[in-house]
Amino acid sequence: MGKETFEPRIIGFLCNWCCYAAADSAGVARFQYPPNIRTIRIMCTGRMDPLFIIDAFSVGTDGVFVGG
Amino acid sequence: MGNFTARVRREPRYIDLGLCTACGICANYCPVIIGDAYNENLALTKGPHRDYVQAVPASFYIDPAACLYLNHETCQICVSACQAKAINFYEQEETVDLEVGAVILAPGFGRISEEVLSTYGYGRLADVVTGMEFERLTSASGPTMGKIIRPSDGQHAHRIAFLQCIGSRDVSCGNGYCSSVCCMYAVKEAVVAKEHDPDIEISIFYMDMRTQGKEFDYARLRAKEKGVRFVRSRVAGVQENGNALEISYVNEAGKHLKESFDMVVLPEGLESPGDAQSLARAAGIDLNHYHFCSTGSFVPLQTTRPGIFVSGAFQGPKDVPESVTDASGAAALAAEALKMVRGSRVESKEYPAEIDIGQAPRIGVFVCSCGTNVGGVVDVKAVADYAASLDDVVFADMNLFSCAQNTQEAITEKISENRLNRVVVAACTPRTHEPLFQETLKNAGLNPCLFEMANIRDHCSWVHAAVPAEATEKSKDLVRMAVAKARRLEPLPEQKLPVTHKAALVIGGGMAGMTAALSIAGQGFDCFLVEESGELGGNLRHIRFMLSGEDPRKILQDTEERVRSNPHIHVYTNSSVEDVSGYVGNFVASIRTPEGHENLEHGVIVVATGGKPYEPKQYLYGKSTQVVTQGELEERLSDSDEAKRINNVVMIQCVGSRGQDLPYCSKICCGQAVKNALKILELNPSANITVLYRDMRTYGFMEDYYQLAREKGVIFVHFDKESPPEVTEKGGRIQVEFVDKILDERVILEPDLLAISVGIVPSRVEALSKILKIPLTGDGFFLEAHPKLRPVEFTVDGVYLCGLAHGPKPISESIVQATAAAGKACIPLAKGYVTVDPIVSSIDPDSCIGCGICESLCPYAAIKMIKVGKKKKAETISASCKGCGICAAHCPTLAIYMGGFTNEQILSQIRAFGEEL
Amino acid sequence: MGESKFGSVMVVGGGIAGIQASLDLAGLGYYVYLIEKAGSIGGAMAQLDKTFPTNDCAI
Repeated sequence: MGKETFEPRIIGFLCNWCCYAAADSAGVARFQYPPNIRTIRIMCTGRMDPLFIIDAFSVGTDGVFVGG
Repeated sequence: MGNFTARVRREPRYIDLGLCTACGICANYCPVIIGDAYNENLALTKGPHRDYVQAVPASFYIDPAACLYLNHETCQICVSACQAKAINFYEQEETVDLEVGAVILAPGFGRISEEVLSTYGYGRLADVVTGMEFERLTSASGPTMGKIIRPSDGQHAHRIAFLQCIGSRDVSCGNGYCSSVCCMYAVKEAVVAKEHDPDIEISIFYMDMRTQGKEFDYARLRAKEKGVRFVRSRVAGVQENGNALEISYVNEAGKHLKESFDMVVLPEGLESPGDAQSLARAAGIDLNHYHFCSTGSFVPLQTTRPGIFVSGAFQGPKDVPESVTDASGAAALAAEALKMVRGSRVESKEYPAEIDIGQAPRIGVFVCSCGTNVGGVVDVKAVADYAASLDDVVFADMNLFSCAQNTQEAITEKISENRLNRVVVAACTPRTHEPLFQETLKNAGLNPCLFEMANIRDHCSWVHAAVPAEATEKSKDLVRMAVAKARRLEPLPEQKLPVTHKAALVIGGGMAGMTAALSIAGQGFDCFLVEESGELGGNLRHIRFMLSGEDPRKILQDTEERVRSNPHIHVYTNSSVEDVSGYVGNFVASIRTPEGHENLEHGVIVVATGGKPYEPKQYLYGKSTQVVTQGELEERLSDSDEAKRINNVVMIQCVGSRGQDLPYCSKICCGQAVKNALKILELNPSANITVLYRDMRTYGFMEDYYQLAREKGVIFVHFDKESPPEVTEKGGRIQVEFVDKILDERVILEPDLLAISVGIVPSRVEALSKILKIPLTGDGFFLEAHPKLRPVEFTVDGVYLCGLAHGPKPISESIVQATAAAGKACIPLAKGYVTVDPIVSSIDPDSCIGCGICESLCPYAAIKMIKVGKKKKAETISASCKGCGICAAHCPTLAIYMGGFTNEQILSQIRAFGEEL
Repeated sequence: MGESKFGSVMVVGGGIAGIQASLDLAGLGYYVYLIEKAGSIGGAMAQLDKTFPTNDCAI
């Protein structure tokens, strides 16, 4: 397979108080996960405007992760 | 009082706090390996270490017992290894004298001795572990990364037994008291273990399951649903049996049984601190007979020495929320003692004026190696070079440790040298380090909002350690996204809103409300105390005597007198709160009084609306004169002539509580039953008393009285929820029928009196909940902001909670909570202002169409609708806003702007992400 | 007035109770000396993995 493996590019919107913190803790615990996600910190997932998701797909994102 | 000198001995750390960057190189090079006390010696650490990754202070220190240089004057490898030159073996022990106005003792608790633990095989059998050891095993950041493995052979443990009451409720080891927390943490550890591995079988052997705290029984029931087995029994001993551990116990029917397990957990109790006696001597305070701090039921946070207060487990075994509540309460008491000198020793920091940042962004990017934490995985130089190639980036560099003091100074210099007006630091997490870097910006004359972080450590190097090339690419992406956001950052003013009305409104005039009012007044602020009924005192009016011996009537009289005569306290009886408008610092309440309506201006609100006894219908209550509630029995017992005629009494516990009408435990009824039983025996030593109970929840030092009642001949018989006692009337006499499990037969008693222990229900507060936008739990009690860390606050700023309105609890706990709520409430009053985070929302009135969606969705009551001309417009109450952005996400006209998280900023991050796809 | 009072408070013990008392005292306008025997503050709570009953992270 090699280079032909599909590597999705994922954008993540993480709540400052829970999911962002959890991602920090994952780091502290040295949990290893695939390097496909790029994170954007927001203060609460209540901030998620559907516009952000549409915009993310329009720039070519393969997946959107919202964690809160 | 108010004037103490404390002599404090400061031991050397041998690593300079200011220079240490917590890189850990000293530990890597140190040849001495020691047990890691933080992990209960289940892991190893080095001579120089920090207790855990998130430790505060973050700097390392050297264990003098382990150090080769300090003991043998050799080695010193760490000295040359440390790039920051932070190791200092010349540091000496210092003695400092501190001038203080008050002291709060919070030394915590001690550990149960190994001698006691050894009774259950600890120390002799490797797979017998303490509760704290098991806690570390279940921790994902612990020595086994959360795997539950046996210390003896490293195999997964499949059958685990928890033995309760280790070093607790055990007179043979000198600890007659109940440690109050072990049942909870055993249930928690059992559930966490089952989450790690659902196939683990867990049995908890217990005498009484004491999960009496707010919402705690639900957690116990969830554990049961998850398959945790609860066995009512005290285990006699643990023996080795081949590869397994065999425990012997007697079940409820009195049968001797044996069972094998892979691992045995001893959830040990809380001991008084090991140095309690020397601390007591130094502080000049008394200890109780268990060597915890001596206090009283009505003055639970005061030691025997004026001006010295206590909080946490040293006051008596307790859990986190109670410790936190104690702490706020003790702070309030210290503030009362020192109200005349408030602010006299506080220093405030001055910053240079903010420079004009002009128009075009000039972005500086600092990429951090974090020692080897980032640099060991990510090609930091490549990331810095990449950052330099981005538009508007005028400066990019790498640092070994961006957070080090000297790097902070260097960043300040680079800001002015390069006239930077936006700063990006690519390093660890903004959740811990953003405030530090924002401080650096302020020192450089930049607005702190012109800062953005890229998390290339916690979210990158640490989690992609095996793929350095991908981690470097990810770091570049994160930096590009941060730079994109930075371009659109704007300076935001740090707002301070004045607290205009330096007064408090206390709703409810029971013991909690009166205590809160007295403390607020004692700290120098005016207080409106609003009580619905015609008199103050609430439930305390019906208490005639206390287990601990104090005279509640005298205390009530005295408290009421102090409230009525305090010039700061304005009492409104027969009055109720009809409406409250405004926000923290600026509330106006409209109250209905017998004279009409009145508007009260105040800055904070304490909710102390209380609770009342559940009204029973069970067990022939109201039908037979022989059936009374514990409260009514207490009333009768205060007439000693009548009491002397009471010969045969049966008491039934949990009437209304724990599953009948009220799903929760009412927490006070077990103590009440024991109190009345002892009173009956005091007046008539030959009386026969039988108490039918589910779990006797006489937690803490109350256990002494339970023990005393049993010694005096009170018979306690357990029943299950499924087979409650039956009460019938035959020929004008009541009969109580129940199953005695030990005799395995039905028993019928014909008592003179049946006392039923009825639970506590909350007052009717639905209207108040709506007025203040403060939520209720499913049980109808108020829901605090956070069950552990903010137990007396609401999510709505400026509103605080105490007493039975929060949940059932004994009077001493209500008093602590009330004092704590008063302490919290006085913080904005004492400051005189409320700081507003720049991340709050603001609404453009021109775009707002006044639809009100934002107002209805805001969880913090931070948006109000106002009339502008003929139109309705939404307006943010900045003092209450938490910056969550729910309003902005739902505004149909995009009229809401979130400071630091604008649509443009977030969209620019998304688009920057897309640039390299 | 008698002897003068000091506007500072000493908190002995840097576990959750001592930390919370210190934070509140600072908020109330008092200078705080927080005294801890160990090398870092946090006490027993820092050792806990989760907290009952919500199983929130303790640290």
